[in-house]
Amino acid sequence: MKTLLKTVLIALRNLNRQKRRTFLLGGAIAFGITIVTLINGFAGSFVENVSENFSNILAGHIFVQGVEKTADGKEQWRIADDDILLEIVAEQEMPVTFVSKRSEFTGALIFQGESIRQTVVGVDWDEERYLRERLVLLDGEFENMLATNDRGERNGIILTETIAEALNVELGERIIARMRTIAGQQNVGEFVLAGVSYDPGLFGQLSAYADLSYVNELLTLQPKQYQTLGIFLTDLGLIDQEADQYFEELSRRVNVFERNTEEEGENPVEALFEQADEETWSGVRYRLFTLNDVLSEVDEIVRLLNGAALVILLVLFVIIMVGITNTFRMIMYERVKEIGTMRALGMQRERVQILFLLEAFLLAMGGVLFGLVVAGIIMLIMSQIFLGLDSAIFILLKNGYFTFAVRPLQVAMNAGIVAGLTILAAFIPSRKAALMPPVDALRA
Amino acid sequence: MKRLIYTSILIAALTVLTPVWVAAEDPDFDSILREIDDLANFSESDFSAVYTIISERPGEEREVTQARLFRRDLNDQFLILILQPDVQRGQGYLQVDENVWFYDPESRKFERTTIRENIQNSDAQNADLDQSSFSSDYTVQSWQEGTLGSFDVYVVDLEARSSDVAYDQVRLWIRQDQTIVLKEEDFSVNGRLMRTVLYPRYERVGSKIIPKQVLIVDELNDGERTQLTMTDATIQTIPDSVFSKAYLERVSN
Repeated sequence: MKTLLKTVLIALRNLNRQKRRTFLLGGAIAFGITIVTLINGFAGSFVENVSENFSNILAGHIFVQGVEKTADGKEQWRIADDDILLEIVAEQEMPVTFVSKRSEFTGALIFQGESIRQTVVGVDWDEERYLRERLVLLDGEFENMLATNDRGERNGIILTETIAEALNVELGERIIARMRTIAGQQNVGEFVLAGVSYDPGLFGQLSAYADLSYVNELLTLQPKQYQTLGIFLTDLGLIDQEADQYFEELSRRVNVFERNTEEEGENPVEALFEQADEETWSGVRYRLFTLNDVLSEVDEIVRLLNGAALVILLVLFVIIMVGITNTFRMIMYERVKEIGTMRALGMQRERVQILFLLEAFLLAMGGVLFGLVVAGIIMLIMSQIFLGLDSAIFILLKNGYFTFAVRPLQVAMNAGIVAGLTILAAFIPSRKAALMPPVDALRA
Repeated sequence: MKRLIYTSILIAALTVLTPVWVAAEDPDFDSILREIDDLANFSESDFSAVYTIISERPGEEREVTQARLFRRDLNDQFLILILQPDVQRGQGYLQVDENVWFYDPESRKFERTTIRENIQNSDAQNADLDQSSFSSDYTVQSWQEGTLGSFDVYVVDLEARSSDVAYDQVRLWIRQDQTIVLKEEDFSVNGRLMRTVLYPRYERVGSKIIPKQVLIVDELNDGERTQLTMTDATIQTIPDSVFSKAYLERVSN
């Protein structure tokens, strides 16, 4: 133990003797680790941020839809009575922050010769206060959504700036919507532009928002009916567990679509919707899906990001390894006499090799440590910059800020890879140094 | 004598008034609608034709779509095969019983659609090329006499029997001297005029009379209109294999 400590001290002294070289080699390692840690950190928070932002767009973490099938095989989405659905939420004591009730249609919005296809989501503006905090209005006010026309309809609509520009429509102007009722019949809505929202343009354009009562009227749903119940939980991490429990209870009480029927590589929500295409039933049948089901592809993106980070790490370190091998070969030639002296004084071959390898290991660990500190500082600085809720990459941010989540296991793995590769790079020169006959070394 | 005079007057009055009373009786619109359907439907033979669909939209170039229609009304079957434009060539709509499928040769996938879907990007719907079914889909709500151009017409308001049809309310201008529709107005569920369909030219195909030219005017978007022109109409027997997914896949390759 004492000998090892001594060897460590000698290794540290050797590194200290060539400060510039140590700094450059350690710096290269640190640079690699910084880049990889930043990517890992970004990927780590990617799922959480995207999930949270999507939960705001979709208005929930767990979703329940009522589907009826007519005699001729057509589907009608409708939740006519949500007593049981809400009862289960209460009975299960689910950690819920908010419950949303929404209906929507996709149709053509028409304004003075221009026509564009758009999904219009009906929102209960009296209840869904949180949407006002999330939706960035560039023009107009949310209060406009509460105004009624002469028929008593709340027919305000909020369009994204992209759609408003495409239609060339301005605040207060009348927009026609050609759409279909839940039975598939043609219907016409008449909206007034109440607001223009920021369009992040990422992951597709956002929906237009209108009042639930008017959307229901156009869909021929009754005032208290709606199409999708969205349940917001207190924590994203609880989604799967709570959804499973909710589904178990729901399936005991009402007719439900089976979950997890997707084939390899298939999106779970798509599989759920296909069931409705293929099967027949009478009355209302409920389908339950979660935000994780909707975003199942996001996990794939994270896997890709982490895979890319690993490839970057390996490529960087293969380059660094070449540098380390050459440097240690140089070190060996520089220290030939020193090695000869040590060997003449009785130092064993193994210890000479261990000394070289320890130098490489300490260099690697120093670089890793420095790289992690630099990465930490960069993350800290980046996470303090407010990019705004209307940022082009808002979907990747948390409330307008970058966030990073670095998993200790991933850091340990990266450090292990770096240490392993550095030791491997130094192995041949160190072995050469160890095998050098002391007489030849002293004569050199 | 007095009795004879009264009897004569009564007989004379009945003789004069009876035709007036008969003439004032409502036309039997149920049978008129059935006749309209019968005239346009091919229950005893197959029907095929090529339709050229020209769509105009304000600020956009005219779009021309050409499609071949195959119909076997006896079995509620139709197939619409897109011939033009080249980018959409091979796409098709196939109805077998209640199911309507859309085939895209690019993805090589069939998607479920409905008879109420629009054909490509036009205002024409699959239903516009399918068999007529006014009598089974609608009930007559009211009617009046009128003129359209130089024709005496019945203007008949229809209401859908169920929500299975695209338009909840329809107004028809039916020629009085010949049971054909000259004009049609289609209304939304909330009673808004959505499109006006004009039938300026008909063609006799076998024993049937079907529109040769149809003009669809979009009443929601000013300047948007679609014109359908039928050519190469025939009642020759169509092979059974045409009304199948395999046929669509084969001809699209």
